[in-house]
Amino acid sequence: MTHKLSDGGQVLHVGMLARVEGEGGMHIEIHNDVVQSVKLNIFEPPRFYEAFLRGRKYTEPPDITARICGICPVAYQTASVEAIEQICGAETTPEIQAMRRLLYCGEWIESHSLHIFMLHAPDFLGFDSVIEMAADYGDVVEMALRLKKAGNDLMTLVGGRAIHPVNVKVGGFYRMPTKLEMLALRPAIASGLEEAFATIKLVSTFDFPEMEQAYEYVALRHPDYYAIERGTVVSTSGTAFPVREFPDHVKEFHVAHSNALHASLDGGGPYVVGPLARYTLNHDRLSPLAREAAREGGLDVTCRNPFKSIIVRAVELVEVFVEAIRIIDAWQDGVAPSVPVPARAGEGFGATEAPRGVLFHRYRLDADGMILDAQIVPPTSQNQPSIEADLRTLVEQWIELSDHDLSHRCEHAIRNYDPCISCATHFLDLTVERS
Amino acid sequence: VTSSRVVIGLGSPDRGDDAVGLEVARRVADLHLPGVTVVEHEDPTGLIDLWDTADLAVVVDAVRSGSAPGSLLVVEAGADAGPLADRAWARTGRGGTHAFGLAAAVELGRALHRLPHRLVLVGVEATQFEHGTALGAPVAAALDAVVATVVGLVATATPQVEAVSHVSG
Repeated sequence: MTHKLSDGGQVLHVGMLARVEGEGGMHIEIHNDVVQSVKLNIFEPPRFYEAFLRGRKYTEPPDITARICGICPVAYQTASVEAIEQICGAETTPEIQAMRRLLYCGEWIESHSLHIFMLHAPDFLGFDSVIEMAADYGDVVEMALRLKKAGNDLMTLVGGRAIHPVNVKVGGFYRMPTKLEMLALRPAIASGLEEAFATIKLVSTFDFPEMEQAYEYVALRHPDYYAIERGTVVSTSGTAFPVREFPDHVKEFHVAHSNALHASLDGGGPYVVGPLARYTLNHDRLSPLAREAAREGGLDVTCRNPFKSIIVRAVELVEVFVEAIRIIDAWQDGVAPSVPVPARAGEGFGATEAPRGVLFHRYRLDADGMILDAQIVPPTSQNQPSIEADLRTLVEQWIELSDHDLSHRCEHAIRNYDPCISCATHFLDLTVERS
Repeated sequence: VTSSRVVIGLGSPDRGDDAVGLEVARRVADLHLPGVTVVEHEDPTGLIDLWDTADLAVVVDAVRSGSAPGSLLVVEAGADAGPLADRAWARTGRGGTHAFGLAAAVELGRALHRLPHRLVLVGVEATQFEHGTALGAPVAAALDAVVATVVGLVATATPQVEAVSHVSG
């Protein structure tokens, strides 16, 4: 929808942004073909999770924080249990860590397959939604449903439910799945790996607008694996610090146009978390098969074109299927599902790689294990400034486009980030003003 | 000749009225209706796999249409019926993860030719979806009527002799 401004300018109103999680808007002002401002207006109401964690028992965060998001609950659960176990001095076993990674693989399969096919692919293929896309790409959509189901089934087996898992506890799990139960899923996981390669083959043929992000990339890094459930924080500028120092480096701040806090790293400009950052900082930690998939997808060892995030997500799909198979094949029954976690006063920090990027949790407990203070920094909050910066760059490149086409391109650029507004609000409606 | 019938309760537990589909599914399951599969389910993207082999599928979910709380909305949405209106059921709960809700699942199923011949959506007008809350009084008061509606739908379908099952989706 367009409106004339009194100064001869124009307002383009696109309405609620589709194919993102949560509610928000965007306002772009253009004067003399120069972008004056770009604002993500996140109007989903604040959800106050940090506030209502206060006064709750230290055992409750995995169940409470899982409810923040229906597509990345494992990220929240894992970050919370890591932080609390740190406070309480509990050391989990390698088997518990392996099972956390397997559960997280299920979440990445669910989330990435949903975003690649249902939300992002229609942008590249020229459809308004996956429903229109299904008429011409029925086989692709069927493959997407199979991939997502594999993720759901893995989540259900390990987590007890496909959404908001209930089997995660501080110290581990209530129950470990058996090898037999895992082997029942293995054929679907193995087929998923093959279809993840088919995904690479498809998405690498898409047309990608030229764009190179100059921002700092931030991700977790693990000495042995592609970091997912734990790691230290590293960036492309060479910054590296343990998770406990996250609050020293990352400062959240409020902007008037968003209900989600923005964040800065060491006082710098926009920085990016998520698939591009993970891939660029951890290519050497990918499995040989995932690196082969990246080569087949035409990627170098780094990727700074946000539109190619769809290829990186497909590479990460390969990675998590490989990891799921590795964990299932190595599993031996008979291990304790959890370790004891006695309450202890202190402060603890946890960070994991949610599908959209680094998620940070901090808790402070009293001696009885009551939560005195909680802080949650989700990935979409951290990515808001870089989304706005991307749009500023792209709108200037695309200034000659019609308002309709410009709006469509902007929405596409936003979906590069797979923003989760529900997580961040703690978000889209698009308005462009031209004069 | 046999037919397969499935009742799918869609929703989230502990999210106020959004649990109505799950609660109705449990009550229908307790009736042990011969040949009726009952499923509790949360993720709309998984619906197609649940219903595409059925002759009759009934999906119960919370809806927000502006009607009186607890009132019923029954919509025929199967392969033998026409497409849903663009915004139909779009405000069901939070619309599912990343706005892929029941309406999207129905239309995606139609595009993929994976709708049952008869798919009936039974909506219960909902008002509150707060975390950690139970069904609101108007929705709780409507449960008997919703169960009776669902039973009426599956009981009038062609009976057959499959075993009863109750699975969690």
